[in-house]
Amino acid sequence: MEPLEEAVGGAAAAVVLELPRRERGAAELAAELEARRSGETRRLVLGGRRVSGPLPAALGRWFPALEVLDVSGAGLAELGAALLALPRLRALLAKNNRLGGPGSLPKGLAQAPLGRSLRVLNLSGNRFAELPPALLGLRGLQRLSLGGNRLHSIPPDIQGLQSLEFLYLGGNFITSIPPELANLPSLSYLVLCDNKIQSIPPQLAQLHSLRSLSLHNNLLTYLPREILNLVHLEELSLRGNPLVVRFVRDLTYNPPSLQELAGRTIKARNVPYGPSDLPENLLKYLNLASNCPNPKCGGVYFDSCVRQIKFVDFCGKYRLPLMHYLCSPECSSPCSSASQSSTSQSESDSEDEAIAAAHRMQKVLLG
Amino acid sequence: MEQTQVWKARSLDELVQLLHRLFAGDEVNVEEVQALMESYESNPADWAGFAQFDEFRYTRNLVDKGNGKFNLMVLCWAEGHGSSIHDHTDSHCFMKILQGNLKETLFEWPGKKGTGEMTKKSERVLRENQCAYINDSIGLHRVENTSHTEPAVSLHLYSPPFDSCNTFDQRTGHKHKVKMTFYSQFGERTPYATAVSQENN
Repeated sequence: MEPLEEAVGGAAAAVVLELPRRERGAAELAAELEARRSGETRRLVLGGRRVSGPLPAALGRWFPALEVLDVSGAGLAELGAALLALPRLRALLAKNNRLGGPGSLPKGLAQAPLGRSLRVLNLSGNRFAELPPALLGLRGLQRLSLGGNRLHSIPPDIQGLQSLEFLYLGGNFITSIPPELANLPSLSYLVLCDNKIQSIPPQLAQLHSLRSLSLHNNLLTYLPREILNLVHLEELSLRGNPLVVRFVRDLTYNPPSLQELAGRTIKARNVPYGPSDLPENLLKYLNLASNCPNPKCGGVYFDSCVRQIKFVDFCGKYRLPLMHYLCSPECSSPCSSASQSSTSQSESDSEDEAIAAAHRMQKVLLG
Repeated sequence: MEQTQVWKARSLDELVQLLHRLFAGDEVNVEEVQALMESYESNPADWAGFAQFDEFRYTRNLVDKGNGKFNLMVLCWAEGHGSSIHDHTDSHCFMKILQGNLKETLFEWPGKKGTGEMTKKSERVLRENQCAYINDSIGLHRVENTSHTEPAVSLHLYSPPFDSCNTFDQRTGHKHKVKMTFYSQFGERTPYATAVSQENN
């Protein structure tokens, strides 16, 4: 467990205190810990059977040098204010407890020394139904795990954890990802497997440090084409998603309105216009034009665009269904320059399929 | 008919010694090897030096080269790590759980037509000390640590040794040859030139 050892600075055996595994009441635990108090102990492992009650309040006085506290599997329903007095805690491992209710985490985490010193927090295997807002005050946090809890969403304020490198949220009930997650500049490992996620916000492509992305066992049918920008990605898991295998074109394309057609013509032909020519609402409308992402197409669209799923080889290995937005079904789809090698292969595949598209489309959409 | 010998390995070192004996000849008695692997009661002190985890993916850590007859290695799977669907290049594959649990999903070989979702045959969860066996005539498999809280460690024996295999895309059955590398050998970290994963998941 190298990263954890790094957090501790490779604590030697003499400075690790591991209590024997057995059930103990709060008073018994306090007595046992007090008896073994030491200014040398850097790592304390309390794991094992049930500990009733929160951690003894004097913990920080008995173990002032403590850097790693492991209370995994102790059946704790709350961690208690003892945490606030630990002057230099770098890692807190509290997996497989009964945390998640109100008061599981003590108030004032952000102001406590922990707020600056904590680097690693593992709360996997607990009962959190939402990411506790108190955690967002742990400014120095680099690794956060809430795997196997009951989360339904990720709060946008997670972007406040600017030092975050490792985020494990697998095995929850998350349905969507806030685009704010992309504002974590150091994020290199993101685990979202075993959730209920239906789509990935295109902003995630801004996670330039991302090296591993785990998305398996979700409800994804496609990925945004911006995913091609994650050129440093070394690991990508997509199995167990209902990813579209065949080339699918959105059959619910609504033909553009006359206003849209007029707007497109004005933009495409650079027809000059100014405030004296048009009412303000139309001037605003013309400014909303989006460029068709097809580099060969100089066109624009306003509201009416076609979603199209195209398969692109990603780093030459995966065939991902990606969403493209085109100005019209006739606009042939672009293939981003970020994909390498087998580009022509996937293009011709999709063209072959496009020829027989109509009947198979119905089968795919209905089947 | 030859009786199946039942051996008991009391430590990892002893297991290695007994394996050398079992593989001394030309024939491999699968039941004997499987029974021997199962008989070893996992003791973390024996294998801690080989259990080198990687943050992003599972690792293969070589323990013994079996006089060229087999490769014995420890695989480390952090939470959520899994392999692609793969074959075993005409070799025997034994997989014993040393810590935690691993889910093994068996797949049929893709048909000659080559495209279309691959067919799952069965799945099971292997518990500590259990030993599974597979070879290409049985099928293909995917191995995963599905736990979000516990890392897993497994002991694998491949005979004859091989350093490449095919991985398969579950959605299409397409296969892709990959080279397998060791994260460490005999306890020492041995980085490979390319950082990029070879597996399609």
